[in-house]
Amino acid sequence: MRISLSWLAAYVPLPPAEELARRLTAVGLEVEAVERVGAALDGVVAARILSSERHPGAEKLAVCQVEAGDGPVQVVCGATNWKVGDVVPLATPGTRMPAGHRIDRASLRGVDSHGMLCSAKELALSEDASGLLILPGDAVPGTPLARVLGIEDVVLEVNVTPNRPDALSHLGIAREVAAATGAAVAYPDARLRQQAPPASASLRVSIEAPDRCYRYAARVVEGVRIGPSPAWLRQRLEACGVRSISNVVDATNFVLLERGQPLHAFDLDKVAGAEIVVRMARVGEKMVTLDGVERTLSPDDLVIADRDRASALAGVMGGGDSEISPGTTRVLIESAWFEPTGVRRTARRHALHTEASHRFERGVDPEGVVAALDRCAAMVAELSGGKVLRGAVDVHPHRRRPVDVVLHWARPGEILGMPVSRKEARIALLALGFELRASGAKNGKFRVPSWRLDVTREEDLVEEIVRLRGYDAIPETLPSIVSDTPALPLAAQIIERTRLALEGAGFSEAVNFSFVAPGDLTPLGPGNGRTGIPLRNPISADLAVMRSSLVPSLLKVLAYNRRQRVEDARLYEIASTYHPRGEGAVDDAPALEELHLSGVATGRRHPVGWSAGGDSIDFHDVKGALEAVLETLGVEGVRFVPGGGTWLHPRSAATMEWTAPDGGVVPLGVVGEIHPRVAAAFDLSRGVLAFDLSLEALNRAARLLTGHAGVPRFPAVLRDLAVVVANEVEARSVLDGVRAEPLVEDVTLFDVYKGAPIPDGKKNLAMAIRYRAADRTLTDSEADGAHARIVERLKGELGAELRG
Amino acid sequence: MDLVRDLEALAEGARLSIASASDDRALEELRVRFLGKKGEISAVLRGMGQLAAEERPRVGEVANRVRDEVESLLVLARQRIEDARLEQELRGSRIDVTLPGRRLLPRGHRHPVTRTTEEIVAIFARLGYEVASGPEIELDWYNFEALNIPADHPARDMQDTFYVDGAAIGRPEGEGAVLLRTHTSPIQIRAMKRAGSPPIRVVAPGRVYRSDYDQTHTPMFHQVEGICVGPAITFADLKGTLAAFARAFFGAGTRTRVRPSYFPFVEPGAEVDVSCSICGGSGSRSGARCGTCKGSGWLEVLGSGMVHPKVLENVGFDPAAVTGFAFGMGVERMAMLKYGIADLRLFYENDLRFLEQF
Ligand SMILES: [Zn+2]
Repeated sequence: MRISLSWLAAYVPLPPAEELARRLTAVGLEVEAVERVGAALDGVVAARILSSERHPGAEKLAVCQVEAGDGPVQVVCGATNWKVGDVVPLATPGTRMPAGHRIDRASLRGVDSHGMLCSAKELALSEDASGLLILPGDAVPGTPLARVLGIEDVVLEVNVTPNRPDALSHLGIAREVAAATGAAVAYPDARLRQQAPPASASLRVSIEAPDRCYRYAARVVEGVRIGPSPAWLRQRLEACGVRSISNVVDATNFVLLERGQPLHAFDLDKVAGAEIVVRMARVGEKMVTLDGVERTLSPDDLVIADRDRASALAGVMGGGDSEISPGTTRVLIESAWFEPTGVRRTARRHALHTEASHRFERGVDPEGVVAALDRCAAMVAELSGGKVLRGAVDVHPHRRRPVDVVLHWARPGEILGMPVSRKEARIALLALGFELRASGAKNGKFRVPSWRLDVTREEDLVEEIVRLRGYDAIPETLPSIVSDTPALPLAAQIIERTRLALEGAGFSEAVNFSFVAPGDLTPLGPGNGRTGIPLRNPISADLAVMRSSLVPSLLKVLAYNRRQRVEDARLYEIASTYHPRGEGAVDDAPALEELHLSGVATGRRHPVGWSAGGDSIDFHDVKGALEAVLETLGVEGVRFVPGGGTWLHPRSAATMEWTAPDGGVVPLGVVGEIHPRVAAAFDLSRGVLAFDLSLEALNRAARLLTGHAGVPRFPAVLRDLAVVVANEVEARSVLDGVRAEPLVEDVTLFDVYKGAPIPDGKKNLAMAIRYRAADRTLTDSEADGAHARIVERLKGELGAELRG
Repeated sequence: MDLVRDLEALAEGARLSIASASDDRALEELRVRFLGKKGEISAVLRGMGQLAAEERPRVGEVANRVRDEVESLLVLARQRIEDARLEQELRGSRIDVTLPGRRLLPRGHRHPVTRTTEEIVAIFARLGYEVASGPEIELDWYNFEALNIPADHPARDMQDTFYVDGAAIGRPEGEGAVLLRTHTSPIQIRAMKRAGSPPIRVVAPGRVYRSDYDQTHTPMFHQVEGICVGPAITFADLKGTLAAFARAFFGAGTRTRVRPSYFPFVEPGAEVDVSCSICGGSGSRSGARCGTCKGSGWLEVLGSGMVHPKVLENVGFDPAAVTGFAFGMGVERMAMLKYGIADLRLFYENDLRFLEQF
């Protein structure tokens, strides 16, 4: 809300602008900006033309001596509409003109000019470029032009929160200023002169929807002549950002900005049957609003209708049919109280947000309806030469009972944590317009002012007291609650350990929007019908679906980084995926949200360096990273089973399966190379690795507190073993075969070799095996025996051949 | 007596040759020459058989003395040669210590939003707050109604809301609107309902969504919510807690300022400003107006207030018996202020050249 200080000063004495801004902010009316109106005219002053002579070198130019406050100066001028003795605007050297250029001392065809005499257009005051702007003859030379024109003003941009519709006007702000400074508000007098005949003779009003219109008051002004508003009115409206339209319309807007009561003016001659019916719109009813849009109304829209049709959307916008026009002579002024939620629904339904709807949906002062009407009628009559017919037509089906709230004198102290005396409480509330209706030892009963619809209970009174006293007065203490110190939840510990392990493996964290384009999810293939959850009102088609997988977002980030020439990238994200809720949901969350850990990787295995090769990262690098995660979480018994879903390369992907202690197999997730078609869909080349794990499953498998087995007391025996097996034989089968021997403590696969002299279709696996017994020193022959049993088993089960 | 003389001469020769030996091989040759089974001392001793019995002890004594001396000289000489060799190695050519260290893997980096969230949560965890979470796809009741924001209330304009089609998640019509939570405040409600009774102290980070996308807004962002409810919790406690938080997060010298504001679920409501972390609250920086606080010296960082009695009633608490405070802050804003990040878009581009700076 823009508040003009020159206007505000008419109702209450004001401290300097900066101080006022601080005080208003301190009582909860945050001043977001202090703007000096007329600042664009800085440097332009009134100047009287003392004499002039023709320019010696240019027929059309005059050389003038002007008085601008500091003695005569010489200015060259090209205009002709002036005479010696006129007062005109002078842009002094250094002035920045509205068009952007700077006025400097200059020489025009050999004659010095100390500034420029200006037209209204050059000063952006009007479109008039026909000559110099002639100012009133009594203007004192040297006075800033903004002051001469009366447009010098300061405007505060006040952020009025939705609970404070009472502050959406100059009088409303004046009340707050008065309360904060201890001054009194000078309410303007309506100065209403009424004449016969009574208004009720020329107008009938009925309310058919009393639950949506609590009061409808109207006055009639006859003999009106529509014309422009006087300058003072135009300037006040313009300072507040409201365009001047005509004297009658401007009067309604003036009262709106003065009192916060929206008003509407109708051309009474266009009101069919001279009848106003406040009723619900009919199904399919149409009307054209003032903005020229034809609207189909809803039966939930309240309209102001005449005998024949709807002529305004009540509380939101008038209609074109009954609009004030240059020929209007009889004016109907409406001042009403519309039920807030209904106005809001209509405004939203028609995507209209007006000065009127903004105030009605927040709640205007129910007791201010008639006062505003009288004020407006008086102004219309004064500005347009009309006469106000006797009496208001006032239909008031829903009378409001005053609200009284009891304040326990101890309550402010209990809530605020500092002593607040009974007297302090009383003084603050009285300053804000509350009335003390009854006072006892323990409490007092306060009547809430009619404009404070937001105050309904004791806590509201406490807020009023403290905002007026100032929040600075409240001390700083710490709560005295004693309670158990909660442990960091297990799930949070698991996430923290996972992050550390991934960071150690070179993965950086991405944070992506939860919504994606529907097409982002499709390349992943049918994920058990999981296609995300579409939004009803997405902000763009690219952000339309709550994602069912984190992988597409990560692939897009990878592609983005590729475009930035970042070739080596390892990224992960931990976030929710969103799915329709299935059976067996445990709480009342409307959708299923599963926390996932997903990652992508591409580029070189090691950072480029003087001693590192340029190998590319591959499946086993990412598997290693995930093994580090599993290890740090104490997850044991995970198998990487070939094959991992439709979006991974069928040859190079695995599903991670964890075998629970009860024998049940829990899939943790998948890891592998991105399917070439998926990679292409995301503009990525081959060789992108990815993984996707369920944190829920990891939580089940994790054992953060692990036991220990001491250190071995007896020496180990080390033996190497190299076997040749068919390519199809998985390493895991060979290693499991070795581990099946009870004396094997550990086995490390240190080489996999294909090629001569190994026959085609076969591979050589070289392993280092450590044998140990827990209770004795192994003899060589015991180790030899174990080794031989392993060789026999591998031969028998896997067709392995021993190599030297 | 010839033998004694021979031994003395032998010892003298050994002294000279051992002293001039310059490597291990020469020493070994000398050891064999003097001390070996076929060495010179042995050769002298072999001549003892021809001596008279009374002379043998004296010659034997000299022979042993000479052997001991030669052995000692050899040990010392070995040490001398070893020292010389080490000395030479230590003086040898240096490795290039300026070659970059060998890194097998790059270091991974945590996203600044996560880092900042963790810092905020850790501070409140030290103050005894429990960490809670809640769904992002939320019911209208938790996001609005329970927080004293009824349908058709203008306060709803403060938060442009994304809605989810109930049918898309198999939800029958008429069970209330489903939306993306516009703030983390619904977690307050869930936490109080879950706890069942006060006291309760909860801090809740999470993603939130508002339909707004420009230079200073993203449709998704992060908040941290906190709530403390119990008997006799006061506004002074709110001020003290948030002042303590601000000092812990922004630094010990940070000042806080609290001023009235409006959030429907608190009363009295307060906006909390902290002294500008960039200009230290002076409003100017190297002579010019501080751009971060626009010259005011203060930064708006938190919304807060005393939990509205209607909210307490909505979760079944008695507002006559318990009071509480709640607060909420935007994580991106806190991160921007703490790390001096000027452009909101950086958070969601996930450019590794940005992420790697954290
Ligand atoms: Zn600053």
